[in-house]
Amino acid sequence: MAVKLRVSGVGKDYLIPVIQEVSFGVEAGEFVCLLGPNGCGKTTLLRILGGIEPATRGTVLLDGRPVVADERHERKVGMVFQEDRLLPWLSLRDNVALVLKPLGLPREERHVRAMQHLRIAGLRGFEDYYPGRVSGGMRQRAAIARALAIEPDVLLMDEPFGALDAQNRRIMQDEVRRIWAETARTIVFVTHSIEEAAAVGTTLIMLTARPARIRELIRNDHTVDRAKLVDDLNTMIMEEVHAQQGDIR
Amino acid sequence: MSGQTRDWAGRLHLPTVGVATAVLVVWSLLSWRYGAYVLPAPSAVVSGFVEILRSGEIWTHTAASLSRILVGFGGAVLVAVFLALAAFVSRLARGVVHDLLAVLNSTSVFVWIVISLIWFGLSHWAPIFTTFMITLPVVASNLVEGVASVDRRLLEMGDVYRLGSREKFTSIVIPSTLPYLVAGMKVGFGLALKVSVVAEIFGVTSGIGYIMNYSREILATQMVFVWALVMILIMLLTEKLVFDTANRRLQRWR
Repeated sequence: MAVKLRVSGVGKDYLIPVIQEVSFGVEAGEFVCLLGPNGCGKTTLLRILGGIEPATRGTVLLDGRPVVADERHERKVGMVFQEDRLLPWLSLRDNVALVLKPLGLPREERHVRAMQHLRIAGLRGFEDYYPGRVSGGMRQRAAIARALAIEPDVLLMDEPFGALDAQNRRIMQDEVRRIWAETARTIVFVTHSIEEAAAVGTTLIMLTARPARIRELIRNDHTVDRAKLVDDLNTMIMEEVHAQQGDIR
Repeated sequence: MSGQTRDWAGRLHLPTVGVATAVLVVWSLLSWRYGAYVLPAPSAVVSGFVEILRSGEIWTHTAASLSRILVGFGGAVLVAVFLALAAFVSRLARGVVHDLLAVLNSTSVFVWIVISLIWFGLSHWAPIFTTFMITLPVVASNLVEGVASVDRRLLEMGDVYRLGSREKFTSIVIPSTLPYLVAGMKVGFGLALKVSVVAEIFGVTSGIGYIMNYSREILATQMVFVWALVMILIMLLTEKLVFDTANRRLQRWR
């Protein structure tokens, strides 16, 4: 399969090094989960992949073209944030249709595509609702529909279900897995929940404590013993948490 | 039946009606005790009101005052929008606008009235200028606050989805700022009405401020009360009809 996303030697310093050096490739149609202790730079890495923040070192190639922050670019990146980031004064449909404008689609087509993707995200019948009138889970579904509607080269998700309750979280994990299977999108998904990563991802990347490096890259296919995987990852993450605390002391 | 009664009582604010009745009774007694020059009876005020309604005088002076307010206050809103835009695009301008508004906010109405009399003499530009200078900082402060409160995370979302600056402005910045504009205009309009009327005491021969002062000079105290009543009605009506409606429209999505 073709390499969709190529991350080479990416690092980021703020005042201290946050990400030391991260390199990996993502194949088209892969579902990658980035895992690691809190504050290890997972979100920062995702923002670099999305071109929201510049990297201090290294390069990110999407379909062979470099991703550079603050530059007009041709790539299509769908992003689902921790918060829904819907515009509260637009209906769910208009929220989705809005991001289709830069693609140069005529109004009618924007409308049709918005409806179609809201349906894929399980929001049939709620297209005309304002975000404030639906539940948090439905708002996050709309944010996913928005990200899918641009038919993104890569779909980035930053702890998208962090604000949901346990039950909704489970439902949305199944949903995102279904949507991934139906749309065959390439997904990079940040989470701090090992159970979540093991449930949705095909490839799990465990980062070390700050400054982040890749500690382990694990293929999560049907041959893997899920319970053992979760156990191993839990052990790893606790080691990293202790390493990070030791570092602070 | 009792439910219906309660409904009516609620709509009329029964306690308020009680207090109003008490005030009217005390007012009548005081008027009877001190005479119509000091305190005209409520009935005199009512008949005075009917009189200006019948003669059409109410419309001439209200129109004169409102047209001055429209120019002065309207100008203030336009300049406020411009200042807020400058504050939005440039960090440098934000500081300057902030300091400018702080100075304007601490300047008294009377300063502007005196200055405008010096600059514009006895003309209708005096109340217009005074209204402009007093309402500008009120509307602009609200707008600048509104622009500053635009959710950066929404703008970042716009960047990720490659919305153009124009699209971000119309879809994100304007809708987040409009409620602040309406709130600022509501306060500003109330202030404009109060301030322009004061400025109308000097030099002009029409408007509510002029006619109130004129009524005082010809010892028609009841007409002072009548015109005060007109001002109160204008204020209540615009608040209910214009600003509350605008707010309801804007906040439809809440």
